[in-house]
Amino acid sequence: MLEIRNLHAAYGGVTALDHVSLTVEKGQFVSIVGPNGAGKTTLFKVIAGTVPAQSGTISFEGKDLLSTSAFERAHLGIAHIPEGRQVFPNMSVLENLEMGAFTDAGQKQWNENLDFIYGLFPILKERAEQMAGTLSGGQQQMVAIARGIASSPKLIMLDEPSMGLAPAVADSIFEAIVEIRRQKNLTVLLVEQRAMEALESCERGYVLETGRVVLEGTPTELLSDDRVRQAYLGA
Amino acid sequence: MGKRTGFFSSLLPLAGFCAVYLVLLFTLQSQYYQLMLILVSVWAVMGISWNVLSGYSGLISFGHAAFFGLGAFTVVLGQIYFGITPWIGIPLAGVVGAVAGILVGLPTFRLRGHYFALAMLAYPLALLYVFEWLGYQEVAIPMERENPVAWMQFSDQRIYGMIGLGLLIIAIIVSRLIETSRFGMSLLAIKQNELAAEAAGIETRKWKLRAIAVSGAIAGTIGGFYAIVLLVITPDTVFGMLTSAQALIVTLFGGVGTVWGPIIGAAVLIPLAETLHAEVGHLLHGIQGVVYGVAIIIIILVAPEGLMWKVRDIMQARRAAGEPPAEIAVAEVVANPGPLPDRPNAMSGRIMLEVRNLSKSFGGLRAVQDVSFTVPEGAVIGIIGPNGAGKTTLFNLLNGFQTPNQGEIIFEGESLVGLTPSGVCKRGIGRTFQVARPFKRLSILDNVLIGAYVGAATDDIALKHAREALALVGLDKNADRLAGGLTSMEQRLMELARALAGKPKMLFLDETLAGLGGVEVNEMITVIRRLSETGVTIVIIEHTMQAMLRLADHFIVLDHGALLTEGKPREVVRQDAVIEAYLGKRWRNRA
Repeated sequence: MLEIRNLHAAYGGVTALDHVSLTVEKGQFVSIVGPNGAGKTTLFKVIAGTVPAQSGTISFEGKDLLSTSAFERAHLGIAHIPEGRQVFPNMSVLENLEMGAFTDAGQKQWNENLDFIYGLFPILKERAEQMAGTLSGGQQQMVAIARGIASSPKLIMLDEPSMGLAPAVADSIFEAIVEIRRQKNLTVLLVEQRAMEALESCERGYVLETGRVVLEGTPTELLSDDRVRQAYLGA
Repeated sequence: MGKRTGFFSSLLPLAGFCAVYLVLLFTLQSQYYQLMLILVSVWAVMGISWNVLSGYSGLISFGHAAFFGLGAFTVVLGQIYFGITPWIGIPLAGVVGAVAGILVGLPTFRLRGHYFALAMLAYPLALLYVFEWLGYQEVAIPMERENPVAWMQFSDQRIYGMIGLGLLIIAIIVSRLIETSRFGMSLLAIKQNELAAEAAGIETRKWKLRAIAVSGAIAGTIGGFYAIVLLVITPDTVFGMLTSAQALIVTLFGGVGTVWGPIIGAAVLIPLAETLHAEVGHLLHGIQGVVYGVAIIIIILVAPEGLMWKVRDIMQARRAAGEPPAEIAVAEVVANPGPLPDRPNAMSGRIMLEVRNLSKSFGGLRAVQDVSFTVPEGAVIGIIGPNGAGKTTLFNLLNGFQTPNQGEIIFEGESLVGLTPSGVCKRGIGRTFQVARPFKRLSILDNVLIGAYVGAATDDIALKHAREALALVGLDKNADRLAGGLTSMEQRLMELARALAGKPKMLFLDETLAGLGGVEVNEMITVIRRLSETGVTIVIIEHTMQAMLRLADHFIVLDHGALLTEGKPREVVRQDAVIEAYLGKRWRNRA
């Protein structure tokens, strides 16, 4: 479904991604883990189109993504849930969700998606009229994820959904992601620093370190490999 | 600016310009063309005035007509009511402009960016209505038949031309003095990155107020002279929108942030607009406005920084094509500096920085919670922790960019809480930024010089400190290269030198190694160690853990804003709590 070959990207001369290749099959749950500064967020931004690639290719359902503009990529069925939540703080929860439903598919399935979202996160129904900026961190993360679902995507990309959340809240977010995938049969690409949580729910994992893929494999393979720990902690 | 010749090197073109101006003034017989020359000098000075504030500091003003108009009315009303001759009235107009500048600046510098620009728009508009309300719809300068020279009244217009040229020369010299001193460098730093400027020890508010005072003085002076040339003024001609716009347009056209930009702009645009107005104005009413509009559009498309910079870039490119590319000589390349030799005494120095129960919340998010630690003199301390752990917030609290809700920061026995970033810097704490933002148009030396002023009484001492800092990071052989073409490694080294040039006792490094390749990381580690050996205490935030293990004497680990643990690096990374923080809480019990 998503195929990345030899992707190279840099910010102002600083290399962020160095010949990264990875494959996501339809319906698969793929996790990318690695320490801060490994290039995980950059990779997502290149896929979403907000950062240009220097070289390499990305194809999504056979279509060349790098020659497609960023806003069109959303219409192809890619939902990017950015790091740090990025809700519209002065819009209500419901308005935030409406902003997500700008795609054709999202418009058509609006009622159905809204029911699903409210079933998944009942708190958002209660808070539908509240300004998103006044919600707690965990609730804002729910809004961000729900906004992605509202676009009726085929592929959902989550960038560090656990960042800055208390462990218990982060756990409930991970559970929600697994639930979304089970019910909607979505393809999920997850970027996480917390290797354990990300790897235990995925089908295939990649370990990124200073812009390169240093390890890839099934969760069982990766979880038993001490090089994962070394990627984070050096020794 | 690093070279002391900077000021004098501009005298030659100045002499040439004066010669051309005078030749034109005395060969053009038509009064009309003489007036045009006078107007060129008026708008060139007005452009320089605008440039001193907006060109150098980047604070765009749409309201320079306020100073211009106040100057004009000072001269005219001073003569009518108090019998003050314009010979005194014009300097007085400069004083009025300076005072107005400070009065406008005090409240308006609270705003930034386009809010500042729009707020500035209000002052001339308000003044326009105030003066109309006071009944000064049209004020004429009274004719003095007794002794016209004493009242600056001449039948020969060329004398006005020479006075205009004289004022222009004064404005050029003032502008040049600013540009070649720490005044101009501070304004440039503010333009580039106000926060970084504060961190380099520049009191941004003070320099901005000085800039608007000088700018107001120049505008007031030339406004007063303009009134003498016109003989009759109305609030609309001096406070009107076109006055502010013209100051901005001549500068944008000629080149923002240069002395010659406004002069080139005025010399091209004023005659062009006036001639078109005279030739076809009766057919196409308002043709001047169209000329200015088109000039701005062309400039934006072809040379967004103005003609001056475009020409300079083309010449530089041509010169560079002839020369072989400059080879950058970085400090001796070290394949792998290996782990830090065990420094058993590294943590036993005198306590230099003490952080006690520091907390900071943003709304409901507790970014830093009750963090306490100490930093001994001479140590290299690494602050680590997963994404979102509060490292950057902690750094910002220590540097004065944010104020803690609770807690104490004691540096050398003195509390840092509540100090501005420049205040923190003045007490001997330097910092680098994660995203290096060099001043691309300046040489490496000048970039570093900006950071040197804080610890230096004179500009010469600052220059010496800057050169020493460059030697320390190994960039001294390339000091005169422009910063625009530097690699990321060289930019980091330059950033480091800028922080060092202020002679800090303690240095905070924000992800100095991020994005560097393996060899570069080794070089940077070597440089940082060399700094440590000169006695500077170093606190570093860094994600590249391998590098940190080789660099730091001591780790402080943050998680969820709180201090998780601290200790020897190699021991810390094997602690369960740290592994859980990075890899997830169930990592230890996996599989």
